[in-house]
Amino acid sequence: MLCKLAWGNVRRAGRDYLVYLLTLTLGVTVFYAFNTISMQVDIAGIDEEGLAQVMGSMLGDLTYFLAGVMAFLMVYANNFIMKRRKKEFGLYQVLGMGRGRVATIMALETVIVSVVAFVAGIVLGVGLSQLMTFFTASLFKTQIANFHFFFSMHAFYLTLACMLVMFVLTLLLNLRAVRRTKLIELMGAERRNESIKTRNPWIAIAIFAVGAVLVGVAYYRLLRDGFPLTATDSKLQEAMNQFGITTAMVAVGTFALFWGLSGMLIKLLQSLRGVYWRGLNMFTVRQLAAKVNTVCFSMGVIAMLLFLAITSVTCGMSIANVMNENLERYNPVDVSQTYVYYTPDTLDYYKGYANPSEADRMVLADTTVDLYPAWHGKGKSADNNDETGKKVDIADVAGEHVQIDSYLSYPFGGSNPSVTPSEMCKIMGEKLPKAFGGSNADTMGLFVTPASQYNKLRQMMGEEPVHIGRDQYLLTCDMGGELVDLYTKYMAGGHTLTLGGHTLKPATDKSDEDTAAIANSAMGSNSGTVVVADELLSQLNLQPYSSSLLVNYKQGMDTTEADESIKYTVLDNLLVDGKEPGSWGIFITRSEMYTQAAQMNGLISYLAIYIGFVLVVACAAILSIQQLSNVADGSRSYRVLAQIGCEDRQIRHSVMAQQAVFFLFPLAVGLAHSFVALKVIIELVSIFGNMSIGGTVGLTCAIFLAAYGGYFLVTYLMSAGMVQAAIATRYSE
Amino acid sequence: MQTTHMATPVLEVAHLEKVYGALGNVTRALNDVSFTVNRGEFVGIMGASGSGKSTLLNCVSTIDSATSGTIRINGQDVTRMKQAKLSQFRREELGFIFQDSNLLDTLTARENIALPLTIARTNSAEISTRVQDVAARLSISQVLDKYPYQMSGGQQQRVAAARALVTDPTMIMADEPTGALDSKSARLLLESLEALNRRLRATVLMVTHDSFAASYTSRVLFIRDGKIFTELRRGDTDRREFFDRIMEVVAMMGGEGSDAL
Repeated sequence: MLCKLAWGNVRRAGRDYLVYLLTLTLGVTVFYAFNTISMQVDIAGIDEEGLAQVMGSMLGDLTYFLAGVMAFLMVYANNFIMKRRKKEFGLYQVLGMGRGRVATIMALETVIVSVVAFVAGIVLGVGLSQLMTFFTASLFKTQIANFHFFFSMHAFYLTLACMLVMFVLTLLLNLRAVRRTKLIELMGAERRNESIKTRNPWIAIAIFAVGAVLVGVAYYRLLRDGFPLTATDSKLQEAMNQFGITTAMVAVGTFALFWGLSGMLIKLLQSLRGVYWRGLNMFTVRQLAAKVNTVCFSMGVIAMLLFLAITSVTCGMSIANVMNENLERYNPVDVSQTYVYYTPDTLDYYKGYANPSEADRMVLADTTVDLYPAWHGKGKSADNNDETGKKVDIADVAGEHVQIDSYLSYPFGGSNPSVTPSEMCKIMGEKLPKAFGGSNADTMGLFVTPASQYNKLRQMMGEEPVHIGRDQYLLTCDMGGELVDLYTKYMAGGHTLTLGGHTLKPATDKSDEDTAAIANSAMGSNSGTVVVADELLSQLNLQPYSSSLLVNYKQGMDTTEADESIKYTVLDNLLVDGKEPGSWGIFITRSEMYTQAAQMNGLISYLAIYIGFVLVVACAAILSIQQLSNVADGSRSYRVLAQIGCEDRQIRHSVMAQQAVFFLFPLAVGLAHSFVALKVIIELVSIFGNMSIGGTVGLTCAIFLAAYGGYFLVTYLMSAGMVQAAIATRYSE
Repeated sequence: MQTTHMATPVLEVAHLEKVYGALGNVTRALNDVSFTVNRGEFVGIMGASGSGKSTLLNCVSTIDSATSGTIRINGQDVTRMKQAKLSQFRREELGFIFQDSNLLDTLTARENIALPLTIARTNSAEISTRVQDVAARLSISQVLDKYPYQMSGGQQQRVAAARALVTDPTMIMADEPTGALDSKSARLLLESLEALNRRLRATVLMVTHDSFAASYTSRVLFIRDGKIFTELRRGDTDRREFFDRIMEVVAMMGGEGSDAL
């Protein structure tokens, strides 16, 4: 009996429940599809283990975030429906039904809708995840070799668990609502003259102004101070506090803007008498004002969410773009192998991790070692690395090769760098760019490299050597952006450098970024190097830091084959007179970097798009629910308008205008916040080169706007239908 | 009151029928109703619940459509008008007062009254003076800047009346205007309507089931089971006497049941 009643209710209250159902279904779809990402990655043919792990951990965290967004949406939609059903539940009680049974009916209704939404959501989610596999493959630049239909039990259970938790949560909320409300309130839920919470317009305008000022000041502070990430350790705490204040100002300011919006709008339009007393303008503004008062908080939340979405997407994708663009410069040769020497700073650290006999062997390096001979005929294959195993010889694949030695800029046994970016800035009388405060480039100082090695690499890359005299220096850096600008400016200004008592003049006024790498890398290997003449370097007795062997394969050799043959080489520790001056560092092939970058790019883009999309859709859904409920609440008003001779067209325009304000104002505020934040972010990441926003970002934003606009359009069309129905309803007796 | 130019008919209803429902389950709400209302008349339509009086008013006020028959207002047949023309017609020729005042919650009294004018795009200076005038006539000048929820029921109803009058309509349609009011407020509203009718020659068509309200009119049409049962003219009698005559008809209609027809 109760089941039948509940089922009938769900069907009758179809339109009200439709919004709830759609929201729920949407949530389930997105949640399920999101949790199948690891499977999609599998099918898309991305078989990198590290990537899967990175993704796994990131997805784990994001799932919670997503569940939070979903919960918010569902509770919101649930409140919407409860508000509409109050009267009916009141009626049951008047007819003598106990509260327990009313609660049961309501619970049954929730169960019915939840089950339908869950089933529909899973079906759609399964469909979506198949489609997304192709999207994944294209983002990660792989080919789908073996596509097959898949269903993830893991994602299914996760979604189910999440739904159950939320179901219980909404049920408890609803039961509380039924138990707490007085019957008279339930029955009168649709009372005649709604009391309008009016705010003194002058106070509202003042609050609006305060909001505008707060946001403006916060923008100014952010542009001036940037993000606290770049502050040096000593000032970090203070910078964090300042940043906290700025954030609080933006948040409070945003809410104040929305709080004061209605009063501001009314005063503004009333001052334009000709506009206010024309058509339905007055009605539109008053409706807006009445609603904005009650939804100003959620509009503020939406503005902030949109801000997050826009910023994360734009930022994530742009960083990925920059990384991709500079890949060629970062990886000048087919393969590189680095050897890192023990320095006064690191020796004790390494000794602490070694067993005693090994620790005894470790010594400070007083000179560099030659890496090529150490690998020539002495490497062993990783899968069989005992004496019987196949020897791996770098000579089998190596064509041209060069070793680049990097020394710290202080003598053997010393500890203070003599050349740093902050020192250079001081000499030039300029401020250190924000991005470098406290960075490695500054604390370790610049490296020093002999000219012969630098020129050999240039030669390998088909460039003319640069002559560097005994009293000259050249600054190189492959990280682009502001660092390179700084070094170029320093040399162009003719400033001198002092190394071990020798004063050096710039050899040229420009450094070539494209030949500045000292090893293959993902994001640049050289944050700053002083290239000096070999004979000077040998006199300086500097502390060696690292050596890298940069190798190009033999002419005509197949890159994949060559990669395979040396990829899994195990190299013995290098011993010089029985002592160990350092340890083998990173081995990087160019093709590996390209693959990784494509995957990293894919990962970042993927997550950025996904998070952004979820946020945008969630915002749009909330707005949509709000608007539909507004229209439903206002149906009596629309009927009155029609009765006193207002044309349908005019009424529709009024609805359109109201909804446009609700959809566009948070978007505008969110966009404004994003522009400012992005400006600062671009400045910050300019250490990696000039970040540009365009291409994929543009396309993504277009998709987002389409989704948001789509919601707007659907909401408007549904509202127009509801208004039409309200007008057509005869007030029959 | 009985002057010659008042014989111009404002409303002519002829053979009006309204049928609800489909084959086999038909409700005949109006059955061959015909009557005429002249300019400057204050006509009441009385009947019990379900007699068809509200259906009649809805048809006349173009809110509902008739099944057959014609309704002419100022010579125009409203049963043949297109939807767009109807809005304009309602806006220009008719004024509505409902049982629940039907004011818009979010607008102040001033704005509610001005609404029909702004919809018709009257210029703002004129809107202002006309709203002031009509408010003064209905003694609601002091509540103009209040919201509906801040006013008493009687004030709300008079604001609604002001909204109906502000456009100078050909005819005012009032559907149980005193239905939700206490007796004092009801009397005030009825006196206002009577004054409007007398002084400004406004034509008023009022549906009511309340004999007291009907006694303020100049003529009462009694409807029962979708047909006009009889008609009473007030003539030169005073209101109290007219009220007694109305009561007699009501008693007869109720007492004799359907056998009377």
